Amino acid sequence: MRIIIDEKPVEVEPGITILEAARQNGIDIPTLCYHEAFGGQGMCRMCMVEVKNGTSSRLVASCTYPISEEIEVRTSTPAIARIRRNIIGLLYRRAPNSEFMRQWYEKYEQPQSRLSPDVEESCILCRLCVKACEEMGSSAIAAVFRGTEKRIGTPYDDAATACIGCGACAQICPTGAIAMTESEDRRTIWNREFALVRCQKCGRPVGTGEQLEYIASKGGSALESGLCQVCRKKQAAVRVSEFYR
Amino acid sequence: MPAETNSKPNEEMLLAIINNYPGENRYILSIMQDMQKQFNYLPRQGLEMIALHVDSPFSQVYSMATFYKAFSLVPKGRINFKVCDGTACHIKGSNVIIDQIYKHLGIRPGETTPDGEFSLETVNCIGACALAPAVLANDRVHPKVTSAGIVEIIKSYGGHVDASSK
Repeated sequence: MRIIIDEKPVEVEPGITILEAARQNGIDIPTLCYHEAFGGQGMCRMCMVEVKNGTSSRLVASCTYPISEEIEVRTSTPAIARIRRNIIGLLYRRAPNSEFMRQWYEKYEQPQSRLSPDVEESCILCRLCVKACEEMGSSAIAAVFRGTEKRIGTPYDDAATACIGCGACAQICPTGAIAMTESEDRRTIWNREFALVRCQKCGRPVGTGEQLEYIASKGGSALESGLCQVCRKKQAAVRVSEFYR
Repeated sequence: MPAETNSKPNEEMLLAIINNYPGENRYILSIMQDMQKQFNYLPRQGLEMIALHVDSPFSQVYSMATFYKAFSLVPKGRINFKVCDGTACHIKGSNVIIDQIYKHLGIRPGETTPDGEFSLETVNCIGACALAPAVLANDRVHPKVTSAGIVEIIKSYGGHVDASSK
């Protein structure tokens, strides 16, 4: 199927999103809540583009718009630029401490504003953590409450019972809003403490007890050797080299 | 006058509500509405049982319960004040009533006093615009409530009014 993105005709497979089509063809559309592993969420609205179909044109979120017709897409128009500038302006004030948001803020020139930043907050509510937790299979966290009160949390803000302490949420968070602390043998996240299992060889953290148990229950065998990913790789390499000697 | 106390939820009652519905995601809201209707709030145990029933993560169910203003997560008081904040009541000074209640009972809309006696919420219109500003105490309408009048109303339901504050 042939569509036009920014006046450039491109050949795409029907069904993929505009965002995917654009990126495959080297056209960048900015996103905040998109991750290749999860697909589009349509949360942040940074990826808005103008879609022209015949004579009518409208603004859509490119990350959740599957291509089914021969459309014409524009990825940067004055209207879209304004939308993006507003989003960044507001989100930066929500997470002024994060380097990530500061970089976006500098990229999108901002008009004067009376809005003052919220120095306590770091979360931009992109939901990548929620998605990561869901994909992991625990779904311990979700977006709770509504409107200005909305935030990411566990039910009743209790120590997350469904959490396995894998830290995927903290790892994927672009703004570092999720507090995770590690000591010698403990990891604390979402108000809960986990026993930290370290690699028997190099001492790098392998995961939490709950996490390894969970992986084992899914048919994996992560801790058979008691080694971390790096040491396991090394061990496998040695085995292979011995085999071919 | 309707019953002043709502029945306290127990597992049996919660199960009776939940079992009216098949265990599918799309019935979560309906179950919650029934629970809210019966207990005037959503008990934690109830939400946990819903999650189990529809085989969804507890976090998901909690997320939904906190999203809708129609649901309360804390038990309502013995007396639940519904201060009408519709257009007519708003203009006639419903905010004064809300302020007075906060002054004397220390609760804001959506809250319950620690002793479980009173709770406060605002509603959009009770259709009594000619009587504005109106307050519902449970289901009883108090018309044309003044700043002093709300104090008398609180007293009439056994509330201790702090005399030192006006």
